[in-house]
Amino acid sequence: MKTQITIFKAGNPDLNARPMIQLTNIDKIYRTKTIETIALNKVNLEIERGEFVAVMGPSGCGKSTLLNIIGLLDSPTSGELSIGGQQLNSFNNKKLAAFRNFKLGFIFQSFHLINDLSVVDNVELPLLYREGVSGSERRKRALEALEKVGLRARTKHYPSQLSGGQRQRVAIARAIVGKPEIILADEPTGNLDSQMGEEVMNIMLNLNKTEGTTIVMVTHDEHMASKTKRIIRFFDGQQIN
Amino acid sequence: MLKNYIKLAVKVMMRKKYYTILSLLGVSFTIMIITVFTSFIDQIIGENSAEPNRTHTLILDKVTAYNKGKAESGGASIHFLKEHLKSLQSTELISFIAKNSYVSFQNQKPTGHMVVYADQNFWDITKFNFEEGRPFRAKEVENASRVVVINIKTKEHFFGDSDATGKELTIYGKHFKVIGVVGAAAPFSMAYGDMYFPLSLDANPNATMGSITGNYSAMLLARSSDLQEVRKELRSRMRLLNNKISGADSVKVYAFTPLEQFAKSSSYDDQEPEYGKTAIMIFVILLLFMLIPAISLINLNMSRIGERAEEIGVRKSFGATSSTLVGQFVVENVILTLAGGLLGLALAVYAANVLVEIINTFDPLFKMPSDTLAINWRVVGLSIFSCLIFGLLSGVYPAWKMSKLDPVFALKGGQNND
Repeated sequence: MKTQITIFKAGNPDLNARPMIQLTNIDKIYRTKTIETIALNKVNLEIERGEFVAVMGPSGCGKSTLLNIIGLLDSPTSGELSIGGQQLNSFNNKKLAAFRNFKLGFIFQSFHLINDLSVVDNVELPLLYREGVSGSERRKRALEALEKVGLRARTKHYPSQLSGGQRQRVAIARAIVGKPEIILADEPTGNLDSQMGEEVMNIMLNLNKTEGTTIVMVTHDEHMASKTKRIIRFFDGQQIN
Repeated sequence: MLKNYIKLAVKVMMRKKYYTILSLLGVSFTIMIITVFTSFIDQIIGENSAEPNRTHTLILDKVTAYNKGKAESGGASIHFLKEHLKSLQSTELISFIAKNSYVSFQNQKPTGHMVVYADQNFWDITKFNFEEGRPFRAKEVENASRVVVINIKTKEHFFGDSDATGKELTIYGKHFKVIGVVGAAAPFSMAYGDMYFPLSLDANPNATMGSITGNYSAMLLARSSDLQEVRKELRSRMRLLNNKISGADSVKVYAFTPLEQFAKSSSYDDQEPEYGKTAIMIFVILLLFMLIPAISLINLNMSRIGERAEEIGVRKSFGATSSTLVGQFVVENVILTLAGGLLGLALAVYAANVLVEIINTFDPLFKMPSDTLAINWRVVGLSIFSCLIFGLLSGVYPAWKMSKLDPVFALKGGQNND
């Protein structure tokens, strides 16, 4: 694990000069015995450090696939992906897991909190997979993250005791607790009413502004997308702007 | 991390009550059977407070005399044992014993009693706890004093709760003075007796004088843990008898500890025991006990963990590797099986008593004490070890299978969409 910390340490000036996320000729094709579905077709995309971009497009256009590939949860059929200046095609599963843990934070439309764990335990989760972080340190950082999303008073609650907006704020706390450089949000306001959606969006905007976190957000909501610095539109697996 | 897993395991167990109860039942019954089985074996071979030297006390309970191609086997005669086991270098103490039985009638109800005739060395090889009184001494053995040491069960039978020492007991129409009361030995042990009389009171030796076989056994306390040394010396002693003893061309004696005899399984020869085979056999039996419930638990676990696909997806997203997930689910399963194991141990205490009761119904005369299959720390240790094996056996495969789940697929809770 120590070597991973060295590998993923930020601050290398050469790496910092490159785009935070770079996709070159990315294809993603799903094959079954009878059908071949092209989810992404020759996608070339660069996202700079500290950018907040929205990815938009109709259902089935490949935006979630794109997010999964950037999030290293899925691998492209062909093409090259680099994050933070590091080419990732050659990484094995163990290295990819460590990379996700250090560099990426995820926010999902349906929150994906673990119902059997309390709020604070949910938030601590990414730090469980980071060696050398003690239990007390984990707790301290989780409480800090909950403070940032305004849920310091709900640490002992369980997800089922929270509203949708509160759950999504817990999910944001979980995404930022490990201080990742990139946050990938898949329709983070999709399951929330407009007021709660605004709250969640403001937290993300603030995070981008104050911490300089790069955020890639998939959304259907033009209003939310308009608050970001750039909108990338997809149609039939291709970028159209 | 472990604390986190344990907390989660408890939460999941409480939430999935149906699965938990089903799993606990399966595990606890398996562990109960294993515990009772182990306790049974432990009674046959294990050391206990009455016999702390059991692992290096050899029981010589069979001799074979070969005469013109014919073999005659049986116990040994006291004459043969006294004559040919004299001053063995490899043994520290030798005791000669004979066993018999006696049936008493109280309120016209017959009760069987195991009678042991022994010498004074018997009390030094064994370490019986004297609840009352003392053992018989060399002088009493020499003088054929009419004294008897009885065990607790016999004391309760004849004297109830009052002290027995100093009182008279009439056995075979003769009066004996009770000089001591001991706790019970393991019922399958050579040292088990309800009544212990001085060896010289046995009426049988005269009948076997001069012959090789008889109804006597010897307990040989080895000087060191090298038990082969004792058998080597016995063999060389027996070789001296070749063509020199009346009524036999050659003689073989068989002396093994209970563990060694157990390790030899059914073969009753004078070869050295092979522990390997027996260990494998026991391991296979335990594995068979565990296999079917383990397969059921694997099935249960597959669906239980399957319901947690979303959690697996989340954990993978945030950096969990397959191996850490395997660790998590195995720890959860081990906790479940340990909980089942503890329940199984409690059940085993009850089941052991029931089993003894059932066995006792088969013999109207001889009743085993109800604590015959007592569950000691050795048995508890083995049961907990079995639990761990069981937990690993039933947990590793489902955990491994689920840890390989594709995170994107898992996050969708097992459904495919865009």
